[in-house]
Order: sequence, then C-alpha cells, then structure tokens
Amino acid sequence: MSERSVKRLLLALGIIFMLVFCLTPFIYMIVVSVSENPSFLSDSVDFAATFSNYRDVLTVKSLRFLDYLRNSIIIGGIVALVTGAIAALSAYAVSRIEFKGRVWVPLAVLAFSMFPQISVVGYLYKIMRAAGLINTYPALILPYIAWTVPLAFWILLSYMMQIPRDFDDAAFVDGAGRFAVFRRIIVPIAIPGIVSAMLLVFIAAFNEFLFALMLTSDHGARTIPIGIALFEGLHGEVPWGYIMAASAIATLPLVLMSLYFQKFVIQDVTRGALKG
Amino acid sequence: MGLGSRSGDRRTAYLFILPLAAFILVFIVIPVIGTFWTSLFREVTYLESVFNFLGNYRRLFSDANFWQSMKFTLLFVAVCLPIELFLGLVFALILNEKLPARGVLRAAVLVPWAIPTIVAARTWELIYNYSYGLANYVLAALHIGSGPVNWLGTPLSAFGALVIADVWKTTPFVTIILLAGLQTIPEQIYEQARVDGTVFYQRFFKITLPILRPVIAVALIFRSIDTIRILDLIYVVTDGGPGGSTTSLSLYGYKFFNEGDFGYGSAIAVVVFVMAALLSVIYLRVGGFKGVVE
Repeated sequence: MSERSVKRLLLALGIIFMLVFCLTPFIYMIVVSVSENPSFLSDSVDFAATFSNYRDVLTVKSLRFLDYLRNSIIIGGIVALVTGAIAALSAYAVSRIEFKGRVWVPLAVLAFSMFPQISVVGYLYKIMRAAGLINTYPALILPYIAWTVPLAFWILLSYMMQIPRDFDDAAFVDGAGRFAVFRRIIVPIAIPGIVSAMLLVFIAAFNEFLFALMLTSDHGARTIPIGIALFEGLHGEVPWGYIMAASAIATLPLVLMSLYFQKFVIQDVTRGALKG
Repeated sequence: MGLGSRSGDRRTAYLFILPLAAFILVFIVIPVIGTFWTSLFREVTYLESVFNFLGNYRRLFSDANFWQSMKFTLLFVAVCLPIELFLGLVFALILNEKLPARGVLRAAVLVPWAIPTIVAARTWELIYNYSYGLANYVLAALHIGSGPVNWLGTPLSAFGALVIADVWKTTPFVTIILLAGLQTIPEQIYEQARVDGTVFYQRFFKITLPILRPVIAVALIFRSIDTIRILDLIYVVTDGGPGGSTTSLSLYGYKFFNEGDFGYGSAIAVVVFVMAALLSVIYLRVGGFKGVVE
C-alpha cells in the first residue's frame, strides 16, 4: 500500500471512531427521551416511540421542571449581562490605560479563576445563611458573577488588545472622556467578543452544580442541573424517560448555540485557555 | 508603552476595575480565607464552635477515608489525562486535515463539551445500568465477556466507568486547544519535509509533536487542575460508591459540609486548594501569561 492510502485508511477509521465516540451518548439520550419504556434494550421489552415524556416534563407541575428552567434562564441571563459589563470595563482599562499594577491584573484574575469551588462553598454557605439569602436568586447570581468574570475578562482583554489605539485617540481629540470612548467607540467594535463572552458565561452559569446544590433548597431557586441530578418520579422509581427528556430540553439550546458559534467558541475558548 | 497618558487616567482605571475586584474579593478571596480560618475550628451546626488549631488536620492524617479519596483523586488524574491527551491529539489531527465536511466534524466533536456535565453524568449513569443500559447491551451484541457487567457495583469497574465518562466529556476541550496549536504550524514546513522524502508518521514525530509541546503542557496542566477538584460527575454517577471507593477529595469535603461539619469539611477543602494552587503556579509559569499586555 502506498503512503497515501495508508494515511487515508487511518483517517477514515479515525473519523468513524471519533463520530461514534462523541455522538453515541447524545443519541442514546435522545432515543430514551422519546421511548415509552426506557428499558427497551433488555430482551423483554420492545421500543415504542412517544412524546409523553416531553409533554409530562413540560406540563406536570409537581415535577417542577419549568420552575428549574425559569430559574436557570433568569439567573444565567442576569449573570451574563452583569459579567459582560464588568469584564468589558476592566478589560478596557487594562488594555488602554497605564496604571500601577496593570501587568498583574490579568495574571491575578487568572489565578483566582483556578480556585477549586470546594474551597469556597462552605464559607459561602455561611455568608449566605447569615445574609438570609439561602434559596434565593442572589445567592447564586452574586458568586456566579465572581466565578465567570475571569473567563469573560480574558476573552475581552485579548479582543480589545487587537483594536488599534488610533480609534481612541481620534475621539480624545474631539474631547471625549474615557467612559464616552469606551461606550461609543470600543463597545461597538468589541460587540462580537462581548457576545461570545456572554454566551460562554451564560453556559457556565447554566451548568454550574456545586454552589447551586449547596445554596438552594427547593424549586424556588433550584437550577436545571440540580433538578436533573435529583429528579424524582411520581411513583418512586427512577424516571429515566423524564430525566432524559428534561436533559434533552436543557441541552438542545446549548448544543445549537455552540454549533452556531462553532468558530467563535473554538477561537475564544482557546484564547481564554492559552495566552491572548 | 505608547498608552496615552491623560490627567486623572489612573483614577479612571482603578474605577473601571473596581467592580471586577470587588466581586472577586467578596465571593472568592474572602470565602477562601474564611475556609482556612474555619478549618482551625471544631465547628458543627447547632454546636458552639471551638478553636481547635490543627486538630482537624491531625484528624485527616489518621482518617483512612481521607487517604482513600486522596488515592482515588490522584489515580483518577493519572489515568484520565493520558487518555484525554491521546484522543484529543488524534481528534485534533483529524480535524486539522483538509476534509470536505470539516465543519460538521468539528461540530460533532464539540457536542460532549456543550452538554451540561450533570446531563452527561445522568446519561452515563443510564448507560451503565445493569439490566437495560447501553454498555451491557453493546457488550452482549458483540459477544464480549461473559454476561452483563455490574459497572457501578465493583470498585474497579466503577473507576473505569467514571474514567470513560470523564474522558468523553473533556476530550473535546483538549481537542480544541491542540487544534489551535496545530493551526499555528506553517504548511511550508511540511512541504519541505515532504520534498525531503519523509513519511507522514515521521513528520508527526519530527515536526508536529515538538512544536506542539508547549501547547500540550498547557492543556495537561489545565486539565489536571480541573480534574483534581472533580465533583459533579462523580456525585451523579456513583456518589462515591461502591463503599466509598470512588469518593473524590471534593466530594468527601462536600459530604461534611452537607452534614453541617464545617470545620473538618474546610480542612479537606484546604487540602484541595493547596493541591490546585501548586498546579496553578506551574501553569502560570509554563503559560507565559505575563506578556499579554506588553
């Protein structure tokens, strides 16, 4: 065999393995979510398709799925907006203004983002309990902003470093102040970066588990991951059909978003993880 | 630096950074300090907290369950990372080829990354179900092994089950980073090597791998920081079982918090913190991050 055909064969095998590996669990999740009986892989039961899992999850109030979904979307949305604004402001300052300690800000922010969650969650619980915030939106929104802001900051910093300073200087000549330049010149140019940073922040907040597990106690503030992790059926058994339907509903927007922003995400995740 | 210096600029800069600093201070720095402080107390809900100095740490030393979770966590990192790196490299090499449906393939690889960890964990939990899970169905269909495997029932198979689930979820991330590294290698180097009559695997070992080394280092350290604090996947799939054999350090600490034992839980959390901090220091050095704003 020639080198070319060996390489082609390896490539074909690799692609098949890659697709099977990456997609099988996802497809399995979808199939179970539309199955009448999730044990259809055992010998005694046949597969029968149904949408009743989706219907129940979205309509039966006692399953609380819609509450979790609403909580997750509101919390994730607020966190994305606030984090986006805070990160943009500070990224602007570090990319544009000379001040003492400027070089150290990105490094410090990166370092803080690596703290393990377990090393704060216990004390965070005590703070929130003292403030009477357990099982409320702020109990999650406030720490989520702190935990997602490093990622957004790094993405926006590398974005803004690439915007030429001539833009600012032209505005300064016209007598504009720093904040005016930030708002009218930099933010409009950096919008693609801000949007993808906010998207990643939303996904991070949407997926967060440990804080939500510790700081909420019922459907008043519980988010989707907790709901899915602790899902209980109406009759005691593990309701796999419901769980997978709920999972599919929670996953679909995220998968669609990241497919849509595929290039974006790949670039920005890399930017956040590797140096600017 | 060529940055415009204007009157009052410095104050403006601090003002712009203030919200970021305030959030990080209140919700990351203070809780970490609080955790260190709490770890010096015997502090259990409803009981008066008593200063205990290093008592909790002394208890750690003689706590067999703590050492079991330390062993599990380190072993888990040691097994998962090489597999993730290998698969991530293979996937990145494939995606770096000029293929007709490259966009579709990239999207497919991103799917495990896009799925929330908890959703992935529950899906894997079902896959490992003894009587009707996909794993045993596939084994039976391919006539592998003798009968169904009790995946989550024995320490060894539960460990393996968690490794597979974690590798599945995190390989896309490694792939993305390595792919970015691959794309920085200019095509001319390969052209030249081809002219010199090399075979593709020679080009891989002589050109690709050496150039990729710093990127691999970054990916490895980043993943090890992430894996050493793992909790959510394990919480769902095995909840640390069977018999506590798959309890990670974070999960072990959480269990004490959950029972209201904040003193001992904090001591475990401090151990996780110190381990992650050591890795982070290496990461910050290897990554060369200081130059970004120069």
